[in-house]
Amino acid sequence: LFSYFKSFTGQREMTAETLDPVMMTIKEHLITQNVATDIAEHLCQSVRTSLMGKKLGSFERISTAVRNSMETALKRILTPKTSLDILRDIEQAKSEKRPYTMCFIGVNGVGKSTNLSKVCFWLLQNNYKILIAACDTFRSGAVEQLRVHARNLRALQTSGSGIVELFERGYGKDSAGIAKDAINYAAVNQFDVVLVDTAGRMQDNEPLMRALSKLVSVNQPDKIIFVGEALVGNEAVDQLTKFNQALKDFSGLQNPRHIDGMILTKFDTIDDKVGAALSMTYITGQPIYFVGTGQTYTDLKNLKVSHVVHSLLKK
Amino acid sequence: MVLADLGRKINSAFTELTKAPVIDEKVLDSLVREICAALLASDVNVMLVQKLRANIKKNVNLEELANGANKKRMIEKAVMDELYNLVDPQVEPYKPVKRRANIFMMVGLQGAGKTTTCTKIASFYQRKGWKVALVCADTFRAGAFDQLKQNATKAKIPYYGSYSETDPVAIALEGVEKFKADKFEIIIVDTSGRHKQEVELFEEMKQISAAVKPDTTIFVMDGTIGQAAESQAMAFKEAADFGSIIMTKMDGHAKGGGAISAVAATHSPIIFIGTGEHLQDMERFEPRSFIRKVLGMHDMRDMIEQ
Ligand SMILES: Nc1nc2c(ncn2[C@@H]2O[C@H](COP(=O)(O)OP(=O)(O)OP(=O)(O)O)[C@@H](O)[C@H]2O)c(=O)[nH]1
Ligand SMILES: Nc1nc2c(ncn2[C@@H]2O[C@H](COP(=O)(O)OP(=O)(O)OP(=O)(O)O)[C@@H](O)[C@H]2O)c(=O)[nH]1
Ligand SMILES: [Mg+2]
Ligand SMILES: [Mg+2]
Repeated sequence: LFSYFKSFTGQREMTAETLDPVMMTIKEHLITQNVATDIAEHLCQSVRTSLMGKKLGSFERISTAVRNSMETALKRILTPKTSLDILRDIEQAKSEKRPYTMCFIGVNGVGKSTNLSKVCFWLLQNNYKILIAACDTFRSGAVEQLRVHARNLRALQTSGSGIVELFERGYGKDSAGIAKDAINYAAVNQFDVVLVDTAGRMQDNEPLMRALSKLVSVNQPDKIIFVGEALVGNEAVDQLTKFNQALKDFSGLQNPRHIDGMILTKFDTIDDKVGAALSMTYITGQPIYFVGTGQTYTDLKNLKVSHVVHSLLKK
Repeated sequence: MVLADLGRKINSAFTELTKAPVIDEKVLDSLVREICAALLASDVNVMLVQKLRANIKKNVNLEELANGANKKRMIEKAVMDELYNLVDPQVEPYKPVKRRANIFMMVGLQGAGKTTTCTKIASFYQRKGWKVALVCADTFRAGAFDQLKQNATKAKIPYYGSYSETDPVAIALEGVEKFKADKFEIIIVDTSGRHKQEVELFEEMKQISAAVKPDTTIFVMDGTIGQAAESQAMAFKEAADFGSIIMTKMDGHAKGGGAISAVAATHSPIIFIGTGEHLQDMERFEPRSFIRKVLGMHDMRDMIEQ
């Protein structure tokens, strides 16, 4: 009778013994939702540490305590620490009489060119004058792909003062040089924004990573946007770590750049397995500017942190 | 190398086993835990890993086995069997037949590598003396036809497609009919990327398939895919009844466990892996030798087959 009474008066201390099975379950659940295993592990460790030795409140169940603590941790990781107001930044650049430059980088086939075009659509609606720089000079059809997007976007532009133009120099050329020429062209011709498309590359491919780092250090874009797909599993960790590492190691600069934020694409293909959002923000500490939710120009949304937290924790 | 991390972790778990003075439930549990953690870190589906864990525990009866060496061998065999089961569905992939048209249709998620892989396969068969052609039935993606055209031109492979036609079914059928009439032996049809959540896109895939009647449909899957792999693969299997899988982007660091989960879920074999963006960057895939390679090879095999 006594022990029964005690367990309901909130005097129980959380111990390894009581916490571990709950942590185990929640970790496996996070992995099922496509959180990278290392990150699920770290996260569970830190929640466990924060709860260890604490007293449970009256009528509080240990699983509820863990859940609440995990929810707080997830929110903290996913909530942007910097402003996501790109339009304000563009206005700032405008007042400095220079074009604002965004560079889209990432591994192969994740949706860089498509989501660059979606961002362009959004900027056109905000009446900006945009130059798309076709700096993927490697993949077959990459230039034509952007040409089609620019044409489509122009056709959609029936009102407002938005303008889009494509800056292309064909294939096989040095992408850093093309980006430079594009930015100069934009400055001379009073474009507000330059969107730089780059070739997809594997994070382990040193020559290609060096070339990317050069493109970044030569052109110093205002924003370096890593495009990653929500489908990616544990590889997300390696991709982001190594892209950041390459920007740093191969830059030859005192103050090297890093990824400023992400676009999380193909969010419409994963049901509730939203773990990549967590993996990516956890690794970089940078915000997700947009999520891609489809293959048309309007399929670009803001990340709902509460939605992601809910999906990660739901049973 | 492909799944190298997994191999290293499993090997070190086996080494621990060899070092253990007595093999009891606790040692077995810790080995199984290590292996399962390694599989999860390689993107193998969580449910599959749970099943594998249960199977190993079921197939190893420590009480029946008196001596230590026997126990170790038994455990290793149980683990290897489960890993083989994971990548080897024991289904023979389609073998094209000479002097008639063999239609291949490529399907998969957006950006998986279908278009790139089309030309790789075409080139693979062309080098072996087959008469091969490509059909672009992707009328959706911007620049899709240019992409296929430029790849095909580089590889010197005849191709068919259109800038104006918007119906992928019509294009696919036209292209296949044309190359059939010209006595081509392998005709590869590239299609748009799609996903199970878009019913209409899946319907379109079924229609293309019904029109061109492929001898084999190939599911192209990105080697970096995580836990969404299984449900997407199952949906493609159901809608397009693919016969085999090609796992792409296995150059670099990708762990491939997602694609491997697709094998187990759909009982379809992986036939090639893509290892780069260039035409020749493709390797044949043989499940058993793959597992042996992953696990640090010969010494492991010797240990098990003696
Ligand atoms: N379902 C879905 N598909 C998307 C999304 N974003 C892009 N895609 C598709 O993904 C495929 C690849 O997109 P691209 O924009 O060409 O990708 P990329 O990263 O530029 O590719 P590379 O330049 O070859 O490295 C295309 O079929 C796009 O339509 C998205 O948010 N949802
Ligand atoms: N590193 C590497 N890149 C690959 C491999 N296979 C394809 N790619 C790249 O992945 C990207 C997407 O390839 P695509 O062939 O366009 O993919 P897809 O499935 O046809 O794309 P959609 O038609 O848009 O659905 C391109 O940048 C390819 O060069 C591979 O094995 N390794
Ligand atoms: Mg691109
Ligand atoms: Mg394609």
